[in-house]
Amino acid sequence: MSEEETHKFAACTFFAKNHPGETCGSNGLPLTPSSVTILGRSQRLLTISHSNLCTYLDIIRGKHERIIVVAEVLGKSLAEYTSKFSVEEVINIALQLTNAMQFLHKNNITHRTLSDDNILLDSAGRLKLFNYGLYYMTNGGSEVPFPLGLPRYLSPETILNVGGPAADVWTFGIILLELCIGKLWNALKPGPILRRILTLVHANNPAERIAREHDCYEAYKKVPENIRNIIEKCLKIYPSERATFTELHEELLQMNTQTPLDIKKPRGLMGCKLQYLYYWWQLTGGDIQAELKKNGLIKNSPPILSMPIAILLDGCTLGGKTGALFDRRIAKYSLDLLKNRLSHIPPQDFYPLMHERKTNYDTVALPKIIRERDTEYQFYRLLWFERLLHGYPYTAQYIRAEAEIDIPPLVRGEVWAALLGVVGDIEEQYERIDKETPTPTDRQIDVDIPRCHQYCWLLCGAAGHRTLKRLLKAWLLTNPQYVYWQGLDSLTAPFLYLNFCNEARAFACLSAFVPKFLHKFFLKDNSAVIKEYLAKFWQMTAFHEPDLATHLHEINFVPELFAIPWFLTMFSHVFPLHKIVHLWDALLVEGTSLPLFMGVGILRQLRVTLLESGFNECILLFSDLPEIDIGECVKDSIEMCRSSPKSISYRRFTNEPEIKDPMDIVEVPMDVLLTETCPHLSLSDFFSLVCQDKCCVVDIRSNLLYEKSCIDGSINVPYSGVHLGQHELRALGLQPYKILTEAIKMKKIIVVASAEDETAHLFSEYLVKCGAPRVCVLHGGVSALHSHVPSLFTVPAKRNGPK
Amino acid sequence: MTAETIQNTAKTFKFSYPTCTNEELLFKLEVPVEIPHNGCTRELVQRVMKMFHIPVYLEDELNEKLAEFVSEETKKFHNERDAKLLDQLKNGELNIEGIVKNWEKLFKENVVDFAEQKGSSDEEVFAAAYHKLVHSPALDTILQSEANYAKIVMDMLNNRDEDIAGLTMLQTEEMEEKMRLLNTLTTEEEINELAVQHFEQQSLAAGRWDSQLDALRHAQRAAHRAWLMSAIDDYQTDDKITPSNSPLMSFPAELPPLALSPGLEESFTIHLGSQLKQTHNIRLAALDIMHLCSVQRPHAKGFACNVEHASKPTRCSASWAGAQPALALYSSELSGSVVLADALPSRSPLLRSARAAAEHHFPDVETQLRHITDAITEPVEKRNTERQSSREGEGRERGRARGACRLQAGDVFVTRHSNLADAHVVFHLVADDESLKSGDMTSRHPAILGLRNILKAACCNDVTSIAFPLLLKHELTEEMTAAWCMRRAELVLKCVKGFVLEASGGGGADLRTLCATVPPDIRPALFASLAALLPTIFRVSGPVRAKTTQ
Repeated sequence: MSEEETHKFAACTFFAKNHPGETCGSNGLPLTPSSVTILGRSQRLLTISHSNLCTYLDIIRGKHERIIVVAEVLGKSLAEYTSKFSVEEVINIALQLTNAMQFLHKNNITHRTLSDDNILLDSAGRLKLFNYGLYYMTNGGSEVPFPLGLPRYLSPETILNVGGPAADVWTFGIILLELCIGKLWNALKPGPILRRILTLVHANNPAERIAREHDCYEAYKKVPENIRNIIEKCLKIYPSERATFTELHEELLQMNTQTPLDIKKPRGLMGCKLQYLYYWWQLTGGDIQAELKKNGLIKNSPPILSMPIAILLDGCTLGGKTGALFDRRIAKYSLDLLKNRLSHIPPQDFYPLMHERKTNYDTVALPKIIRERDTEYQFYRLLWFERLLHGYPYTAQYIRAEAEIDIPPLVRGEVWAALLGVVGDIEEQYERIDKETPTPTDRQIDVDIPRCHQYCWLLCGAAGHRTLKRLLKAWLLTNPQYVYWQGLDSLTAPFLYLNFCNEARAFACLSAFVPKFLHKFFLKDNSAVIKEYLAKFWQMTAFHEPDLATHLHEINFVPELFAIPWFLTMFSHVFPLHKIVHLWDALLVEGTSLPLFMGVGILRQLRVTLLESGFNECILLFSDLPEIDIGECVKDSIEMCRSSPKSISYRRFTNEPEIKDPMDIVEVPMDVLLTETCPHLSLSDFFSLVCQDKCCVVDIRSNLLYEKSCIDGSINVPYSGVHLGQHELRALGLQPYKILTEAIKMKKIIVVASAEDETAHLFSEYLVKCGAPRVCVLHGGVSALHSHVPSLFTVPAKRNGPK
Repeated sequence: MTAETIQNTAKTFKFSYPTCTNEELLFKLEVPVEIPHNGCTRELVQRVMKMFHIPVYLEDELNEKLAEFVSEETKKFHNERDAKLLDQLKNGELNIEGIVKNWEKLFKENVVDFAEQKGSSDEEVFAAAYHKLVHSPALDTILQSEANYAKIVMDMLNNRDEDIAGLTMLQTEEMEEKMRLLNTLTTEEEINELAVQHFEQQSLAAGRWDSQLDALRHAQRAAHRAWLMSAIDDYQTDDKITPSNSPLMSFPAELPPLALSPGLEESFTIHLGSQLKQTHNIRLAALDIMHLCSVQRPHAKGFACNVEHASKPTRCSASWAGAQPALALYSSELSGSVVLADALPSRSPLLRSARAAAEHHFPDVETQLRHITDAITEPVEKRNTERQSSREGEGRERGRARGACRLQAGDVFVTRHSNLADAHVVFHLVADDESLKSGDMTSRHPAILGLRNILKAACCNDVTSIAFPLLLKHELTEEMTAAWCMRRAELVLKCVKGFVLEASGGGGADLRTLCATVPPDIRPALFASLAALLPTIFRVSGPVRAKTTQ
């Protein structure tokens, strides 16, 4: 197979500028390294797609300010073609070139580095520009130490250190001229070339002048007049006189006699999106840096040889590193590795059908982190998700079902948006929001942003800061009922991280996320909401981790001391982004009660440490949370969430409609809720538990009442006979002890039913102190159940005859 | 430079639309827009419409008009600016030579295509060869031969010392003899003459020895290099297990194993960072930091006979200690150490220790220090005079007079070594002894800022493990009470924590191991309380717990 077919992308690399001297900005924080600025700026390029532009695939920040740019590649560069092009070919090249350039200029991107070695042409005559965004991503060259472009293509005004987009027109003219009369100023060094270009200002017709200089005047005159016209329209000294690419393109369209090429889209692997190919290639073990090293584009000189000799107090470094030279060459990558890896995949698998019975992969059983690195698994998942996302919003339920298994990292941003139900023209909605006008909260936002997930190179650059600020301002403006609470920045960060170039989608996701998970959390007075949330969290802890809850109660280590940032930011303040995404993957699928169990899951991971810690140690431990195994934590919390009846995690402050049905009501007044250790169970949940034989009912009414009528299958432990001081299940008597331990072993839910709430509350707390898990209180007690579900009641069989 | 110096200008965008009752009468709208406009014009339209309550039916028109306006104005902006310069060029008002020279220089110095063709430097070739060989079975041969070289130098140094001591003794005797006979057989003049004579003899002897030492070092260096380069050729052509014609001397090297007393030591694995945790090791050790910078004495024999003496781990580990620096020398995992030093590089405390052994890779310490002294003079003088002039008025003359080109507290100079026990790079932190004694040092103290620069430089230059004096003192003195030490240690550790976090954002190597040293004669109780201080400042990673299956 020819190189043209297997080499689909290439990389080039360069070093960003080092900041000299003391590196502090005006805000007292260290200056952003240039490489980070480049990384931030270049993200926009990754989204550009045009038939005459090589798609950018990746921008990598290496060690020591190295930037590696990975982009699509095609055929050979013009510089590599040795034979002369025919007139038709020249017109074809010019036509596609102007097409690409007019697109760039429309998008406010100046190329500035257009040259014969970054114009790629394949054997079929297709043309693409490679690395056209160098000038853009380096902020006009100011973030790199080397000069951009090649001397012979610089326009006169560029040499004078100015120049706008019209400089590209000049360069285009020079390239066209080169195609017609051969390479210009071939043997000359940069100095003389630049001098010659500058003297062209005195010429009336620079094109002719150049041709004369090269003794090609005759040849130039033989060039068809219409092409010469075009060249001369470009090579005007004054930028204002030059034609624009739109005009040139129109003109070339008129001249073009060839019909547009009709190339059949390849099928199978080569027909997949290039971004996917690159992603899979990396998963198979493709190494961008290795190839660069092989081609001598990354040279590693031993660092000890370039050690500085002195560093002055102000940070000025003397001696040492002399900057590496900018190498314009590129390294091409072969896809063979990936092809071999996926060679056994039958062709039909490239086109999955939505209603087909799906095959199950063994990989599903592996941890998520491993699945995310498995080439074949990601291959199937990505193609499948691509399908589903194509059909969104009609495929919303399929997406949800698949997301429950896992979400391919490459499309996570889109999938999240789908899970959050983001639809409609979000761009236009976002456009309408005023993100610029200063507001009083700006100050606080400006303070917080440089402290928000700054280890992430995307978020720590100027582009990240600006976008995050715009998102926050937009959200605050559209939610006037809310105020800016610190933590909102962390909450926004994951959405920005996943949708860095799609601000509107990040905003839409945030707007959908908050009402769903953090309803009313950002009110100016959010104390009631937070109190309820924490109380519920504490109840869930008691429900699933009774020992831990009892211990923390005893040392008086209440959730107000550590869990507020957990829930206010949905853990985005406490974990790094790569963990948050896994946590939120689950959150978005499982729904609003999961965070409560996540909290419990975190406590469970720290269980051993917490149980042996006192108050002070706990404070220290939580001030800087230790490493948490997020995969385990998520698995645990989902398991807890699913095994808990829905009603026990009921909260009043949610976005959901009010519950009217008395069977479902579990609401208690706030002050009562804050004192209760165990959650309430609704009658309908109780009913279904009874039907599934998943609960053990403890009736704590007096035995007189019990004997009159009781819940079928319940045991009677009269409250009046319990010694609350004795934290031993055995103390309840042999029969109840046996039944309760059996229930605990069977993972049944222990439901306390009583005549009045007060005793139920005290008794359930007593059970928790005894270490019994899954204890809850039947809401409304026996009487409520009796009035709504009388069928559950029976008269107990007399044990030892009447007393 | 290619960067444009853009001076933005505000242009006024005008828009008008008819009033509702009279088609002739127009509402006029004027908005100043910055050119070039960085931002979305459509968003600007939305803002304008909201602010001036412009009817929505005008939205599309406004969008179109404003976009057109901005693109036109931007074009005009560029063109006018360019035209002005081009006119100047035409009229010869510009310094063409200067501009072209500047471009020429930029291209020549930064872009491969225009740079002078230069292959790898001699240094780089040797580095690559050495690095390859030390990672081959030739390692022990290399270490042995290096040890032998060191031994020879040591012997010669000892001979020198003996010789000079002998000479001094002889001279003293002679002088005493003469003194006894003063005023009887000798005159004062004669004694003076003798003193001069003695002095000359002394310097002659010293000079002779020095030149001998120099010659020896040069010869060794040349031989070592020559052998290594030939060995690498052998190694590459046929992968022989051991390189041939090794210059191993016939006599065995009888050096005592490195006596690096570990003293008190405690180490922790710590996590830094609030969300993303990075793991570092931090070691607290009571040892003289100069020990790390002392000449390594790998026990060549110990390495050679480690097979037979496997039961004697101390000897093997001693030679391993010698192998480690050699293995890492040209890698990107260097180790460094911070030494407090005097403002004059030539008075470096290293001079004594590092001089003793052969330096086969870098210029010897004296040369390095001399080179540093020369190289820093100009920039330091410039800096100092700038600082002076900014501090207008206070003793300007005095400042100029003395030490205008002296390093100041907080400055750092750096030397490289291949022959030290545990440091490839030594950062000399210039410190002012008096202010270091003070009990209330702040985080803005020059020594602390110097430390920050050191850590940053370490990151940028692939120094992954670094030792620094925790108390910023090499020795214990009387004002260093326990409370003083605790306060100082807390300050330094907290600052180091911040610096490590900051430096890791710079995109260099991770500082994996930090070694905080305290003077070796520290009291164990104080050491214990310092060790207890560490976990309160850093998050120490907990023990790994086996999962209990429920």
